[in-house]
Amino acid sequence: MNASTIYLVLFLYFIVGSIIARYARKKLGSGVNDFFLGGRTLGGIIAALTYSATTYSAFMLVGLAGFTYLGGVGALGFELIYLSGLVLVAFFGPRLWLVGKRYNYLTPTEMLGDRYQSKKVAIVSAIAAVIFLIPYSAVQLIGIGALLEGISGGAIPFLAGVGIAAVIAVYWTFTGGLKAVAWTDSLQAAVMLTVAVLSVIFIIYNGFGGLGNMFAQLEARYPAWLTVPGPGFFNIHAFVGLTLPWFFFSLSNPQVSQRLFMPRSLSQMRIMVMGFLIFGFIYTLVSIFWGFSARLLLPDLEVADAATPALLSLDIVPVSIAILVMLGISAAAISTVNSIILTLASMVTRDVFKNFRKDTSEKRELLVGKIFIPLFTVFILAFATLRLDLIAALSVASSAGLLVMVPALIGAFFWKRGTAAAVLASIIIGGGIATALQYSGYYPLGLWPGVWSGLVSTFLFIGVSLLTRPPEHKAEEFLNYLQEELNPKKII
Amino acid sequence: MTLKKQRIFWAVLFVIMILAAFIIPFTPLFRDLTSVYGAFLFWNIFAIVVIVCLGIITAKWGDYDER
Repeated sequence: MNASTIYLVLFLYFIVGSIIARYARKKLGSGVNDFFLGGRTLGGIIAALTYSATTYSAFMLVGLAGFTYLGGVGALGFELIYLSGLVLVAFFGPRLWLVGKRYNYLTPTEMLGDRYQSKKVAIVSAIAAVIFLIPYSAVQLIGIGALLEGISGGAIPFLAGVGIAAVIAVYWTFTGGLKAVAWTDSLQAAVMLTVAVLSVIFIIYNGFGGLGNMFAQLEARYPAWLTVPGPGFFNIHAFVGLTLPWFFFSLSNPQVSQRLFMPRSLSQMRIMVMGFLIFGFIYTLVSIFWGFSARLLLPDLEVADAATPALLSLDIVPVSIAILVMLGISAAAISTVNSIILTLASMVTRDVFKNFRKDTSEKRELLVGKIFIPLFTVFILAFATLRLDLIAALSVASSAGLLVMVPALIGAFFWKRGTAAAVLASIIIGGGIATALQYSGYYPLGLWPGVWSGLVSTFLFIGVSLLTRPPEHKAEEFLNYLQEELNPKKII
Repeated sequence: MTLKKQRIFWAVLFVIMILAAFIIPFTPLFRDLTSVYGAFLFWNIFAIVVIVCLGIITAKWGDYDER
């Protein structure tokens, strides 16, 4: 594929997104809440699209397609159980939204710090999020760099691809804060889904003559790919180890849970949740079909993650479709990275900086937050260019590492007895275990790091809470407020 | 049904459904009883049921805005 064509498409994409970001800035208020939360006034459709674009990264059309190529239908189970993790929002969505408005929380970690009456909780949980999300973001940029290098036959150097993605992400984020991120995310979500659906229809009909024929060929040539454990990749240990941490993503990933503060009303949050579920269901099926197509058309690939780039280079895929898919994958990665950058900037500003500088004015806090946006981008860019093994390990460990936030979040809303000491123990020790196991490759009893970090953090949260003193007054006030708001309207 | 019972009902239902989604497709009995497309159909039906359940639960959220 011609490098100049790819550069031109990316440039046009950047221009369209920048026009949207500049327009979004006109509607931006001047406060910290306006910049980082869009003033808590997002409509349901925009909220659904930014939630989808933030959640679904380049992993879908590259990693999930690769999982399908390697392990078959187990990849569908993994991804649909991940999607079903939205059941947690049925219980936690209204609660987070209500306390966010009442106590003016900017970040989920600020909420934890206030609920457990401990600055240390806010600081430690914010730092833990930074540790796990920077490598995760770096992998997104690495994905774009490798993709552009691959489809251009090396004409676009890896560093150029990484740099282009980082510049687009930081410019849109810095230009208009959450409003710009949400609106450009909406553009990117539309591009992601439209391109993915059209291209997979094109490949299925050009490659196999229809969906029925594709499945008939799968059944004839690769029947094991339609069952679990199938060809072996998705044995029960791997399936649980991969799926369990991601089931909790709507709570554990702060760039996702922060979005529960943003809709302007609960009815708009409902549109957000239902919109995301439909988007996710379609996008999952498309990515799975993509992987099955690669398995049939390119049976001898050595690296499963190469399934998508290899599929794009086949003669049955016109160059125009291949460029659009490249754009869709880039959009998925950029929309995830810019949301993470914005969330991390808000967390470090509110939960770390402001906890050390209590007298900080809102104007100064906003300035510091804006400074952290390019700063985090440079960090992520530096990580991406290093391409260290540790980055991959930390990125894979991100779901297991962030899982340690979940017991504290559940306790905040459903257990008066939870304590700050327990939160600190569960996050620090649980996160350390997740990283150590992931990096060493040692899986005790065959259980994956995500299972261990979940078990250890839950055990520590309950055990240490029972041995220490809870913030009784705050817990009482916090939970009573929620009961008074939710019970009369019979919201579960 | 009281609100407390509703919360318990939905929580238990979701736990059962999600455990089923983790376990059932891996059982030999499931493979014996279903066609080669069993797992594919099972997980798709599971996702659709989850979406419908969430549609039912979140229907109440609009009431909050009318206060």
